[in-house]
Amino acid sequence: MSASPATEPRGAGPLRPGELAQASVLAALCAATAIVSIIVPFAGALSLLGTVPMGLLAYRYRIRVTITATVAAAVIAFLIAGLGGLMTVVHSAYIGGLTGVVKRHRRGTGTVLVVSFFAGAVFTAAAVAALAILTRLRHLIFDAITANVDGAAAVLRGIGRFATAHPFPYSPRIAVGLDWSADHLKWLLGEALHYWPWLILANGIVSLMIVSLIGWWALSRVLERMRGVPDVHKLDAPLDNAPIGPVPVRLDQVRFRYPHTDRDALSTISLDVHAGEHLAITGANGSGKTTLMLMLAGREPTSGTIDRPGAVGLGRLGGTAVVMQHPESQVLGTRVADDVVWGLPPGTSIDVGRLLSEVGLDSHAERDTGSLSGGELQRLAVAAALAREPALLIADEVTSMVDQQGRDALLGVLSGLKQQHRTALVHITHYNNEADSADRTINLSDSGDNTDMVDTMAAPIATAAAGHDSDAPVLELAGVGHEYGSGTPWAKAALSDVSFVVHQGDGVLIHGGNGSGKSTLAWIMAGLTVPTTGSCLLDGRPTYEQVGAVALSFQAARLQLMRSRVDVEVASAAGFSAKDDDRVVSALAVVGLDSALAKRRIDQLSGGQMRRVVLAGLLARSPRALILDEPLAGLDAATQRGLLRLLEELRREKELTVVVISHDFAGLEDLCPRTLHLNNGVLEPATTTAGGLR
Amino acid sequence: MTAPAQEQPARRQSRPVVLLRPVPGTSAVHDLWAGTKLLAVCAISILLTFYPGWITIGLVAALVLTAARIAHIPRGALPTVPHWLWIMVVLGGMTAAFAGGSPFIELAGAHIGFGGLLNFLRITTLSIVLLGLGAMVSWTTNVAEIAPAVATLGCPLRLLRIPIDEWAVALALALRAFPMLIEEFRVLYAARRLRPKLVLHSRRARRRRWALELIDLITAALTVTLRRADEMGDAITARGGIGQISAAPSRPKLADWLALSIIAAVCAASILLDVPLPGHH
Repeated sequence: MSASPATEPRGAGPLRPGELAQASVLAALCAATAIVSIIVPFAGALSLLGTVPMGLLAYRYRIRVTITATVAAAVIAFLIAGLGGLMTVVHSAYIGGLTGVVKRHRRGTGTVLVVSFFAGAVFTAAAVAALAILTRLRHLIFDAITANVDGAAAVLRGIGRFATAHPFPYSPRIAVGLDWSADHLKWLLGEALHYWPWLILANGIVSLMIVSLIGWWALSRVLERMRGVPDVHKLDAPLDNAPIGPVPVRLDQVRFRYPHTDRDALSTISLDVHAGEHLAITGANGSGKTTLMLMLAGREPTSGTIDRPGAVGLGRLGGTAVVMQHPESQVLGTRVADDVVWGLPPGTSIDVGRLLSEVGLDSHAERDTGSLSGGELQRLAVAAALAREPALLIADEVTSMVDQQGRDALLGVLSGLKQQHRTALVHITHYNNEADSADRTINLSDSGDNTDMVDTMAAPIATAAAGHDSDAPVLELAGVGHEYGSGTPWAKAALSDVSFVVHQGDGVLIHGGNGSGKSTLAWIMAGLTVPTTGSCLLDGRPTYEQVGAVALSFQAARLQLMRSRVDVEVASAAGFSAKDDDRVVSALAVVGLDSALAKRRIDQLSGGQMRRVVLAGLLARSPRALILDEPLAGLDAATQRGLLRLLEELRREKELTVVVISHDFAGLEDLCPRTLHLNNGVLEPATTTAGGLR
Repeated sequence: MTAPAQEQPARRQSRPVVLLRPVPGTSAVHDLWAGTKLLAVCAISILLTFYPGWITIGLVAALVLTAARIAHIPRGALPTVPHWLWIMVVLGGMTAAFAGGSPFIELAGAHIGFGGLLNFLRITTLSIVLLGLGAMVSWTTNVAEIAPAVATLGCPLRLLRIPIDEWAVALALALRAFPMLIEEFRVLYAARRLRPKLVLHSRRARRRRWALELIDLITAALTVTLRRADEMGDAITARGGIGQISAAPSRPKLADWLALSIIAAVCAASILLDVPLPGHH
């Protein structure tokens, strides 16, 4: 997602998938700002920010994309915030589009001023014309304003009379002054209402110019900052009209290198995929697993040849289907049944019920996709892929964001495919046991052995470690319960009656599946959420009164990194000056990062490095406890081991109190000797009763 | 989806604003075609914009309240109104009341004018009725039904070569992305709360810091949003581009025509009743 204008031909014709996705997501963003600015009083200034997403769209894409986004955002804003919301979106799109186009043509602030003057004149003239037609609304608004001003004037006069009647120092002068203000207030309003079209016109032009300038400033800054943001989009629709036939495919001496990089993303490989076979591809992060997926999905290799009988047919009936890593992004429909048919050519009819029952979601057809767990979402994505009866199905790390239960169900669906479909399955994974059910396994790691693979393991029995009784308790949770949306029809209990104590230097694993309430618990322990019942105390005081004393590392590390560069980020998160190089270097050293990284841009970091930078910022404040939400998600085996070793050392040597929230157990037993199981918001009783739990 | 305001300790007992999530249960209003509700909201919004008189406001308010009763909307669905908003309304009402003006009423020997207060009340009620209208749609419509309904309603635009299907798909995807973005912004906001606050002494430094923070926040939000968009683009490509968006296309039924006739009758009645009474503004 480079922030430069799109280099490919802009051209006419329908929107391409990438353009459509950008338009939709930025429309959602623009609608969100517009709605908040309308329904939250005094948040009107927020609508200024709505110009940035639209400006970005106009800068990077053709005008059709901006128009599509405007329509989508306007409908959403109208649905929630009425005509006011709609007008806010139109306003944002107008100004954002303007600044974006000016930026694209590499013009400066002067152009923005001139263009916005004329644009403001046109826009405001339209508004004046509308008010001229809507006489009744205009009179009502004017009458209401007059009433409030007259009222204020009457109050001023009243005070003036009071002052005249009760002589006190300066009272005559005050009375005269108040009378004068009251008269002038009314006179001013009368004049203003008399010349209303001119007043609105002038005001409209000036305010539109100001807003354009602010939007221009923000857009320029944001674009400057976003230069380093990597493009994470992977798939491109192949432009091939040949008959579809993706398998059997033969890769001969295939090698791939991304443009502008100096090393191969996929080193030379030869392999075959036969019709109907189940092939597993394993390897550590960076070994080229995903690049191999791209080759199979139709991207041209840098060297070598790929032979297949026909076109790849990505997403076409009988072609190639791909299921990717992030469960939420896979699913495009808001209702389960709708997602299965999403994107099928109009007129194609399929048996939605049969497909859903094949992946074990038969009773969920009417459910909202937002309420599904990660594992269910991935099974739904498989159903949508199967709706196309693909000849080749590629599953790329589909289980890495899914809990153990969901993983088992998903693997069951994948290994059962052979019975009902003639689909060749290519399963890319970094879990050892997931490769077991395949007909054949190909390992891409250079070492050739499986040492860098993650083993999954059974849950350890809940334990309550004794031995820390002498230490002071750090976190004390007593009868903590939480309900979202209390008192509304949407009330949903997330936690109930959770009680436990964490001591200084403890390592506690809170284990639970998707939707068990473990993230809510993490937020409560960090003081970000006030529990509806019970108390969560840090050193005897409620945690929500001391936000920041307990550090929390979120699952999405990128959301926690707000500055552009590593040193500025660490300094800002820790609360010292970015010029304090020594402290930055020592903070980085604590998490095992080299000082050379300090000047690196955030968006050039790997997933593991991002997590360490977050930890560096958090630990530099010497938190009372460190909570880590799914710290291992999305990291490969070697990175996971390194991070765990680091945390173990910190806990042992610096007596750091660590609470890990996870659906995984692998490798955590040394860091967290104590395990608590959370199931549907309730702690399962520990098997040993010695101390710890109270 | 809930507004992030719920995380604030001060509003512990308050009910959050819940958007785009229907109240659980079924009713005649829930079962109406989404297009009917969209048309109704459009028609009434336009009506109120042209004829914001007491009669129209009253009729629409009655319509909204009846619909809420039929749809079994509990009182708990309304978000808590913060205290300061009440105070502002009362203050506004008081200043408006002091303005006086016709109509005048003799009350305990005093000659009191209610014109100002009435005008203030009218514009306040108008805003509340408009908000209620939008809320009714949000409380009774499944998000998944909105985009297909827009596609159906926009059919005639196809003759003008307007890409209505593309718009409908973008709308559907935007509605799908909306809760995910809200959740990500919730995390972003929480991450910001966890950071230490810098104490700056000069006003100039504070202003600069504020501007920088703003750019940082926008950039973080946009980076997350664009990443989401890239992934969504991949998912669309993996499905072979756009096509169907609904498994069970819905169409207006008898109930919908009935509902539309009621709306039309209300509109017609308020115009007829309102027009001969120019004294209303």
